[in-house]
Amino acid sequence: MATLLHSAVLNPEAYRTVRAADEGAPGKTQSFRSLAPRLESLHGKTIYLVDTGFGGSGRFLDQVQAWFAEHMPSVTTVRRRKTGNIFRDDARELWNEIKERGQAAILGVAG
Amino acid sequence: MPHLRFTFVKSPVWGKTPEQLQKDVIEGKDPISGKPVMREIVEELTAPLADEDKATRTIPQSAGPDHFGPDTADNLQRLFEEKGMTDHLPIVLPTEEKVEAMLKATSHKADEIVGKISPTPGVFEYWSYTVKQVAVNAVMAGADPKYFPVILAIAAAGKESMSSSDNSFAEAVVINGPIRDEIGLNYGIGALGPFSHANATIGRAYTLLSINAGNCGKVGETYMGVIGNPANYTNIVIAENEKESPWKPFSVRHGFKPEESVVSIFEGWGVISAKNSKYAVWQKEMNFAQELKNIFDDQDQLFGGIAVLSPAVANYIKDEGYDTVDKLTDWLYQGPDGAKPHFWSKAQINILVTGSSNNLYWDYGGMRYVKSVSVDTWR
Repeated sequence: MATLLHSAVLNPEAYRTVRAADEGAPGKTQSFRSLAPRLESLHGKTIYLVDTGFGGSGRFLDQVQAWFAEHMPSVTTVRRRKTGNIFRDDARELWNEIKERGQAAILGVAG
Repeated sequence: MPHLRFTFVKSPVWGKTPEQLQKDVIEGKDPISGKPVMREIVEELTAPLADEDKATRTIPQSAGPDHFGPDTADNLQRLFEEKGMTDHLPIVLPTEEKVEAMLKATSHKADEIVGKISPTPGVFEYWSYTVKQVAVNAVMAGADPKYFPVILAIAAAGKESMSSSDNSFAEAVVINGPIRDEIGLNYGIGALGPFSHANATIGRAYTLLSINAGNCGKVGETYMGVIGNPANYTNIVIAENEKESPWKPFSVRHGFKPEESVVSIFEGWGVISAKNSKYAVWQKEMNFAQELKNIFDDQDQLFGGIAVLSPAVANYIKDEGYDTVDKLTDWLYQGPDGAKPHFWSKAQINILVTGSSNNLYWDYGGMRYVKSVSVDTWR
């Protein structure tokens, strides 16, 4: 006996739209910005090490800072603890400080 | 964000000594790329950008076709399972007819945006969803159309039922008002258990919606819970026993009228029997308020304290002198002998009443109140 066909069913993922975090109206596309330009070398540069405050971010960056001091002593590292919500892009003053005084940044985000 | 330069390290990082971090993490390899961690970090800061890294652009997002099939029921069940669109239990296949019947249970248009969910706001993008998409997932959960306004209200809260966090969080849905009796929600014996079609399928619809409309629960991508949480199957649905509670319903204490039907979302670790606690000692003369305070003062502060009391216990506490939840909360919040309170605010203490009165049992846990949404606005 042949197996009966079931009628078509609706896709539970269809009809959705994507809204990029903290961005504007929803649509069926998602926008991305260009990444910041890279450095040719880290020699003599200032790198901000930003602790988001989540998980072991700070403890990890302590060790990153120690590694640069030992292995790339010409690099100046600056430790900062991000203020505000650990998941949000809400530290405009810190980002401005990094743009003004630093050449690169490493964010510790979890762990 | 595609192409954003990440270095992953062997987790967990917290809880390790500096020496362990140095050995396991700094001198270790990225478990995804296999490259030494610090070499990779330096490369990420110095390796030139590819053309695609420089482009400011939009990426089309496809949710796939509107329909699958026709095919056999077994094949369609398998397809939904393989596509990760289920909770790994059989679903009701969402035919056009069943979805149409669901849509008739609300006055809202099928293409209206109901809300948005992210597996963790700020980390993952939001997905927005329409009334129709909520209806499809409600059908899959086995919900009766008369439950649909409740499911839409939950969807409108925009809170994920499964966070991407490795904590294995749980969500609770507190339901107040006339809708409880209209649709047969259980708030008697076994109120939090699998003894009511309405409680079970409303809770399940919340999880399926979070998976299919909110991008939640994709293991290894948007779900990382270390142990997982059995409450994620149907969430913790708590219809309050307003008839037998000595206090105003939760929704009324949060500004709604008694005749309004309301859902309120909580998040946290879940709930467990108070008999689990060393403070829950049965004596000839019980002091449940003190027992509750002892338990709360011993809990983690992150999500505060939630008590799910049987009507018998709630009335016992009322007779101990707490004729309002505010009075009880004020006392529970106090620090010992004028010392600093254990919780950060009174809002971290939440009291609910449900279940039967055939014994003096109750549950407690760490769950915080997130928000309430009117069910009536989704009828």
